[in-house]
Amino acid sequence: MRLRLSDRQVGILFMLPLLVTAAAFIVWPVAEAIRLAFYRYNPLRPDDLIWVGLDNFERILDDPLFWDSFRQALVWTGWSILFQTVLGVGLALLLHTALPGIAIFRGLLLFPYIVPTVVIALNWRWIFNSEIGIVNHALLRLGVISDNIAWLSTPDMAMASAILLNVWKYTPFVIICVLARLQTIPTELYDAAKVDGAGAVRRFLDITLPMLKEVLVVVIVFRTIWTFNKFEEIYLLTRGGPGTSTFNLAVYAFEEGMANLRLGVAAATGVIMIALLLAGTIVYVRVSGFGREEKPA
Amino acid sequence: MDVRLERLSKSFGANPVLKSLDLTFPERRFVTLLGPSGCGKTTLLRLIAGLERASEGAIWFGDRRVDHLAPGERNIAMVFQSYALYPTMDVAANIGYGLRVRGIPRAERGEKVGAVARVLEIAHLLARKPRALSGGQRQRVALGRAMVRKPDIFLMDEPLSNLDAKLRATMRGELKRFHLDLETTSIYVTHDQLEAMTMSDLIAVMDQGVVQQYGTPEEVYDRPANLFVAGFIGSPPMNFAEVEVASDAGAPVLRLAGRTIPVPPQFDLAAAPRRLTLGIRPQDVRIAAPGDAGAIPGTVWMTELIGSERLIEVEIAPRLRITAEVKSEVRAALNAPAAVAFETTKLHLFDPATGLALRRRA
Repeated sequence: MRLRLSDRQVGILFMLPLLVTAAAFIVWPVAEAIRLAFYRYNPLRPDDLIWVGLDNFERILDDPLFWDSFRQALVWTGWSILFQTVLGVGLALLLHTALPGIAIFRGLLLFPYIVPTVVIALNWRWIFNSEIGIVNHALLRLGVISDNIAWLSTPDMAMASAILLNVWKYTPFVIICVLARLQTIPTELYDAAKVDGAGAVRRFLDITLPMLKEVLVVVIVFRTIWTFNKFEEIYLLTRGGPGTSTFNLAVYAFEEGMANLRLGVAAATGVIMIALLLAGTIVYVRVSGFGREEKPA
Repeated sequence: MDVRLERLSKSFGANPVLKSLDLTFPERRFVTLLGPSGCGKTTLLRLIAGLERASEGAIWFGDRRVDHLAPGERNIAMVFQSYALYPTMDVAANIGYGLRVRGIPRAERGEKVGAVARVLEIAHLLARKPRALSGGQRQRVALGRAMVRKPDIFLMDEPLSNLDAKLRATMRGELKRFHLDLETTSIYVTHDQLEAMTMSDLIAVMDQGVVQQYGTPEEVYDRPANLFVAGFIGSPPMNFAEVEVASDAGAPVLRLAGRTIPVPPQFDLAAAPRRLTLGIRPQDVRIAAPGDAGAIPGTVWMTELIGSERLIEVEIAPRLRITAEVKSEVRAALNAPAAVAFETTKLHLFDPATGLALRRRA
């Protein structure tokens, strides 16, 4: 007997692999994390799973380190996104010009983005090393500084170094997105603006920037989410230190879960991060007016 | 204000696009640059607009030399092929953008934009974005943007080519009317000879970076200066055939496919070469009876009905076919014998070596 399936059933069949994968690797872990946030759970005593209600959340909100980590996460995310966006748009505009040899730079552009984070972080630790790092060496030779700068061992400098690393690694992502959009803007628009008397700055503000708006909204949302959640760069570069001065919420959750073996608290931190990012994204997308364009007639 | 080009040249790299043009666009006239793709007409328009820099030569607007000025300093307006409306601005902002750039106060701007919008009947669209407009509406917004600034020179780069045939016919009339209302010098680029013929005071027919002929539509159509203009202007295109100048009882005649054609009175062939290219428009060819003594016999090769007219192609010698445009009632069966007769006063003669038209008697 031949199996007869309706179009609908065939469609569901084709979607099944994705649904199963998504359920196994996204839905289930998230649900499990949310569930764990309401339990006390020490991985060394797997049988000892105790329902504690909102205790984990109370504990977190009473923890000064959580609030420090939150503030530092805002600093880390805010500056990273600001620099990535400004540099990304600026470099994309530069790469959009028809200068000779520009294609080579476009190719080199993705380099920081494709090198594994571990490699980059370890390299940057050497680069920032206050005794033998190339940054201090170069600055000393150039006469910009007279004493070595402790790039990674004072709180402010460590945060700045971490932000610098993040900006270096992820600006190419912004450049690629912006460049792709720039290449779709018809040159006739610029011709029309020239005829209307607009100079280069005006043309950028009145034509380029408004046309980049949609892509920038998307890029900023994604970069904000990814940066706010970022763990490995900070941890590999500074381990959250000196002290706890470069803790963000991801490092805080990791320390609670892995160092202090309080997986329930770590999970609750994760839930709080989801809530914060969700609320932030909704507000931002609403305020920016994304997707509220008129439809064609 | 008239526009004068002096020995204007433009090359892109080693590739010359415009070759030492001397051309004057008289004040308040509607002048069309007509030519096939790649003839340099759009480049010429962009040079006049200031969007490209000339390699050599000068551009004068009246008595002001402008080729060193930026587009915004030339007081021109331009309508682009794609209209180039700013997609993120509404219609009012699009029309008023040139005024805003020039620092005109908001209230005055609003007034001017409103006045232009009323003239163009787009006042109800002022709050819309370009993407929510139809092709014809976009066209009007582009015109509004040009109109609001009261330009000295009005430039148009194939502004009708994105419209459907019916709207194009309507907009042709509107553009001409618009030019008359604006009282400016208009320069219009197109590859469509119908647009050029119907709208222009003067046509500059261009090919390979050179102006082949510059004259009124009548001159360009009735007295083409060379083989290119003769073949490019007119639809269906002119028939061409090689003829020999012979003598019949002392009087010069033209020999074509074994028949003789009297030399039209407008030509004096005393100094002409022995071989010439004859040109005759399909409208000036008549289908005659096969036995007609003044006609050239052949066989019907193809017929096409084009509405009220019919095109009949008659093969009068191997691979030499003459098209006649006749009333649609005239019937002709394929491969049937037929003959073509020419309206001799409408004959054109060209020197095949230079391509130039033979001089006519004054």
